[in-house]
Amino acid sequence: MLDAFSRAVVSADSKGSTIGAAELSALRKYVSDANKRIDATLAITQNVSCIAADAVSGIVCENTGLTQPGGHCYPTRRMAACLRDGEIILRYISYALLAGDPSVLDDRCINGLKETYTALGVPIANAIRAIEIMKIATVAIMTETNTGRKMFEGINSGSGAQCKDIAAEAASYFDRVIDALS
Amino acid sequence: MKSAVTTVVISADLAGRFPTISDLESVKGSFDRASARLEAAEKLAAYIEKYTEDALNEVYKEGAIYDQANKDKCARDIHHYLRLINYCLVTGGTGPLDEWGIAGMREVIRAQLLPTAAYIEAFTYIRDKIQIPRDMGEQAATEFKALLDYLINALA
Repeated sequence: MLDAFSRAVVSADSKGSTIGAAELSALRKYVSDANKRIDATLAITQNVSCIAADAVSGIVCENTGLTQPGGHCYPTRRMAACLRDGEIILRYISYALLAGDPSVLDDRCINGLKETYTALGVPIANAIRAIEIMKIATVAIMTETNTGRKMFEGINSGSGAQCKDIAAEAASYFDRVIDALS
Repeated sequence: MKSAVTTVVISADLAGRFPTISDLESVKGSFDRASARLEAAEKLAAYIEKYTEDALNEVYKEGAIYDQANKDKCARDIHHYLRLINYCLVTGGTGPLDEWGIAGMREVIRAQLLPTAAYIEAFTYIRDKIQIPRDMGEQAATEFKALLDYLINALA
């Protein structure tokens, strides 16, 4: 797996060139954004069960047949699997966000996900909808635009408004998962 | 590719847990030290030709024991190792040197009967000639020298 730094190294090595001032300016931005990045990661890790539960409740409310006998979230054992998967996807997104690079998400989560879901008979459309809801919730919590109470305590006292860029990056990782499933 | 962040993520993934506060603190610590090593990387990238040439001239100065015919190859190798050090300074770990420079190095050196002493001389020369603050800041020089020492030890 790669992070923003090793990504620069791998691409420079393919050309056999050194990493000079031009590439380093992008990395300096990554370093100077570190505090926001760490707070944004905390926004996910502190609210994992809430985000996942919210998304699963969302798809069930939108499609009540899911929890009826014969539905894909019936019985609770299958609903629990759904919650677990939501948390796993959030976990890999939190890794990618911290690393500033999607390779860990691609290699360890997305690769083969669609095939696995198809083989297990997981309804792809509902899975995508759940990930969409998780994306919306995560961005709202990260930028502190959610209704109600403040949902996370950063260790760098960064305010939510400053996390906009990072939240957009997080949203792109959710989109990556959605694209892979579509 | 090993770096401060990937090490943390890999161990978190191995345990199946989210990044903890202490993981994040350790990442933050590596970011706090990043500016020095990025400065060193930038300076090294800018002066890599000069460092290579200076070291080469030192190793092949008059009366040197090494075969002059190998000078070009030696220049190429010194440049190659310096480029890997540039990468290490960027990642903040010894990953690029380990994976692309040191792994298999012994076998190659033995098979080609390369004079490792020449490389050691060259990198020692570069290490000892860094002037602070003319070439780079003190912290940056410390990071750079640590990697040169790491390489010298691996060659020895």
